[in-house]
Amino acid sequence: MPSTDRGVFSLIIINKAGGLIYQREFQAGLHKLSTNDYLVLAGTFHGVHAITRSITPKIPSVQPPSPATSSPSTTAPAASSYSYPNPGVPVTGLDYLETDKFRLTCFQTLTGTKFLLFTDPLTGNVDTIVQKIYELYADFVMKNPFYQIEMPVRCEAFDRHLGAWLRGRA
Amino acid sequence: MVVYSFYIFDRHAECIYKRRWLPRPTSIVGKSRSEAAPTGLGQTVRSSDDDSKLVFGTVFSLRNMVRKLGGEDDNFVSFTTSQYKLHYYETPTNTKFVMLTDLKSPSMRIALQQIYINLFVEYVVKNPLSPTEHPGGVGVNNELFEESLEQFVVCVI
Repeated sequence: MPSTDRGVFSLIIINKAGGLIYQREFQAGLHKLSTNDYLVLAGTFHGVHAITRSITPKIPSVQPPSPATSSPSTTAPAASSYSYPNPGVPVTGLDYLETDKFRLTCFQTLTGTKFLLFTDPLTGNVDTIVQKIYELYADFVMKNPFYQIEMPVRCEAFDRHLGAWLRGRA
Repeated sequence: MVVYSFYIFDRHAECIYKRRWLPRPTSIVGKSRSEAAPTGLGQTVRSSDDDSKLVFGTVFSLRNMVRKLGGEDDNFVSFTTSQYKLHYYETPTNTKFVMLTDLKSPSMRIALQQIYINLFVEYVVKNPLSPTEHPGGVGVNNELFEESLEQFVVCVI
């Protein structure tokens, strides 16, 4: 199939402070916003992402009454003894957002940079796409000696390779 | 699947109903605690009252973001984190239904719609004793609604 990049609407990269550092549209499908609105969107999403992590349901766990602790602290509501629904998996913020018209995948790197990929709801293998984009980012943005960290991404090579890869994606 | 909590927000951004089902290792769901009465006094780090405000802030921001990008007729359906899934349904009158479940649950849009149509409209809106607005949850916290919601969540879902 020739147009295999169909499905990926746009990409947004947000730095760890919530600032927009990259925005690119690959395919029409979403409304165009002004640059200012994209900055607002990035900041808003950064905050919402943090909130979604903090509203994770906490499941109270029954802890065996240990004789070591004094009695007033055991009768008090055991605030510290809770577990998360998926113990063992690190608590993250919003990962996937589904709407009627698009699907948003958020990938946060270990250093806090967020990649927001807007795709068609039916696009599969979104995780692979995001991983590849991260790889390209590492190769062409982070290894660019002229790139200042946390600043807007203006790297031609990144743009070129990203576009080419998304177009040629099998 | 497990339902963790359920919230209703009215068009004035007020939480008019909230309910939490905390799966306890030793007890059954029927013994779930409805957090309506004992809240208010901040018990621990954050009361469930603050939780509902955070939930509202999240869905409100996301809804506006989605509408900006997808158009006025777009609606966000759900989002997923590594730990839970949040389902969202908004009625034409801007009443918002939010449900937090575990990751394995399918789309709950129909279920939330059913709660609205079969429970909220029947037992709250059609109740002659219930006011049109529900400040502080007045009119929503009636026995019939709570009971049938409990039934719905335990049996149907």
